[in-house]
Amino acid sequence: MNKRFKIILLQLLTPIVAILFAVVLSSVLIVAIGKSPIEVYQTMIEFSLGRADSVGAILFNATPLIFSGLAVALSFKVGLFNIGVEGQYFIGAFFAAFVGFTFTGLPAFIHLPLAILAAMVGGVLWAFVPIYLKVRRGVHEVISTIMLNYIAYSLIHYLIADLFMDRNQKVPEGLGSPLIRTPHFAESALMPKLHGFLSFFGIDLPNYVYLNWFFVIGLLLAVGMYYLLWHTPFGYEIRAVGSNPKASEAAGISPNKIYFKGFLLSGAIAGLIGLSHLLSFYGYMDLDFPKNFGFNGIAVALMGNNNPFGIVLAALLFGFLNRGAEGVQTFMGVPMETIVIMQGIIILSVVVAANILGRYVKRLEKKEA
Amino acid sequence: MGDIMEMLASALRMTIPVLITALGAIFSERSGVTNIGLEGMMMTGAFWGAYGALHYGPVGGFLLAIAMGMLVALIHAVVTVTYRVDQIVSGVAINILAYGLARFFSIALFGMATTSPSVEGLPKIDIPVLKNISVLKPIATDISPIIILGILLVFVTYWVLEKTVFGLRLKAVGENPLAADTLGVKVIPYRYIGVIISGAFAGLAGAYLSIEHTHMYVEGMTQGKGFIALAAMIFGNWMPYGSFWASFLFGFAEAISMRVVQSKVVPYQFIKMIPYVLTLLVLAGVVRKAQPPASVGIPYSREGD
Repeated sequence: MNKRFKIILLQLLTPIVAILFAVVLSSVLIVAIGKSPIEVYQTMIEFSLGRADSVGAILFNATPLIFSGLAVALSFKVGLFNIGVEGQYFIGAFFAAFVGFTFTGLPAFIHLPLAILAAMVGGVLWAFVPIYLKVRRGVHEVISTIMLNYIAYSLIHYLIADLFMDRNQKVPEGLGSPLIRTPHFAESALMPKLHGFLSFFGIDLPNYVYLNWFFVIGLLLAVGMYYLLWHTPFGYEIRAVGSNPKASEAAGISPNKIYFKGFLLSGAIAGLIGLSHLLSFYGYMDLDFPKNFGFNGIAVALMGNNNPFGIVLAALLFGFLNRGAEGVQTFMGVPMETIVIMQGIIILSVVVAANILGRYVKRLEKKEA
Repeated sequence: MGDIMEMLASALRMTIPVLITALGAIFSERSGVTNIGLEGMMMTGAFWGAYGALHYGPVGGFLLAIAMGMLVALIHAVVTVTYRVDQIVSGVAINILAYGLARFFSIALFGMATTSPSVEGLPKIDIPVLKNISVLKPIATDISPIIILGILLVFVTYWVLEKTVFGLRLKAVGENPLAADTLGVKVIPYRYIGVIISGAFAGLAGAYLSIEHTHMYVEGMTQGKGFIALAAMIFGNWMPYGSFWASFLFGFAEAISMRVVQSKVVPYQFIKMIPYVLTLLVLAGVVRKAQPPASVGIPYSREGD
């Protein structure tokens, strides 16, 4: 067999083997609680793929993961590790929320883009601190971003629960207390759903599915990132610095400059992660605003081998797993957490499998030489 | 004065889980393996501690928690030391995995996803001599034996790292694995041991939270303490005594934050940020220069690939 073909085939097989390994290990857990794994997986697939609302939900679930996977992958490409995606999207979401509830009477074609821009600015600001510390002070970006994630959680908690809490809520006399959240956003800051567009094609999504145009923006961003990385000089510099900073420097590329630009761009993308939920499903920001999209983005980026299209596929897979988890919990009484465990195992087995593959390829190349 | 002592006692209780985990982290980091899976290992310890305490009493709970912490750490060691996967990636996956496992087993074993039935703690003890000084009463009487153990572990960790052959070799492996290997010190086993010790300590610390502190397991009860422990270890410059003072500072901040919730003078969220902000300042060299082990984070293989 042709050697290059063999390597490409193995690279495609690696994630599949990892998924199978995770399926097998999860089956052990399912058997342990007295259920049949085959039935569980069958329910998962039927529930997730057999209904229009499920498919819509999968795409909605996948939307933030596309953004976070791309944000993490971009930092990987430049040779850095942006664990701070988590904090950056929280800050970005708050910036967008601020624009959403502060301005009223703006036309939607100004208000919504302004909210999106604000989110990117927020992400960039929160990414600026670690990359500045890295380039100027030599602080490892992983440790600084972990610290900044927790600072972001606390800061946002303060902003939502204190400074910008909606104090004009109408709470019925004697019935509970006001919710801890920001004021509602103006209608003009909300992202329209995809339903109208899809109905042209005869697909009718129910109203409780919040699939919106951010999904399409995520897909376009993936295409854009592919173009940026492989068809522009800046993309070449990113990949050069990422694979060998010293050689790039010798070739006249300043690694520090590329680190700066690449990391800030990663932060800008990170700022967008929460918007699909914030500007469509919620319409305000509260303490239940979903966490962990940033960390899951690491899994998505690894799973997709840092390739934009691979990331879209990985995000869809995770979206599918989450939706399927709801299905098996409702219909079979299998805890959703089985699927969370499966995701953890998938990540570990993907990275281990990629490592084994890497060694094998190296040995193959050595043999040739 | 009584108020201050009460405050110190509360700070001490907050310090212990962070301190014990930070001490464990020292073993892992000094052997050359970054462990950001500490949070997940603490969570594992908190869950199995409560389960063990429910069925086999508090001592059984602690032993089970330590064993489970070591088991999770073993996964981290296999993935990072043997398969040389990026240590941060593995740590992130371990945290996701541990969260899922804790919820899964909580449903399977307790029938509830988020809490366990309440459990009994270890018998409280008084410190001889000190208990007779009335000012010291809040910190010397009616305290958990794990608090004493945690403080003893500071000295033990120092002694092991600085005075024993094992400790010196462990550090050598983290500073310059190639040199250590050349002199016949086996790098891989030392790194395994370093990581597994950190899992044992994190498991113990997690069990302290569920068995001694809250008397039950509550989902998410570690509240990022694993990461605070990592911060304390860095703030303490990868040293046991330094980590003790850092943990105490962070514990004190937490104790204060709980008291100012009502007062409204400073929003308590800002006090919660103190550990993280201080650590950033240390890393930035504003407070002083951070000196991590030279080879931490770098997988080792003889071939050098």
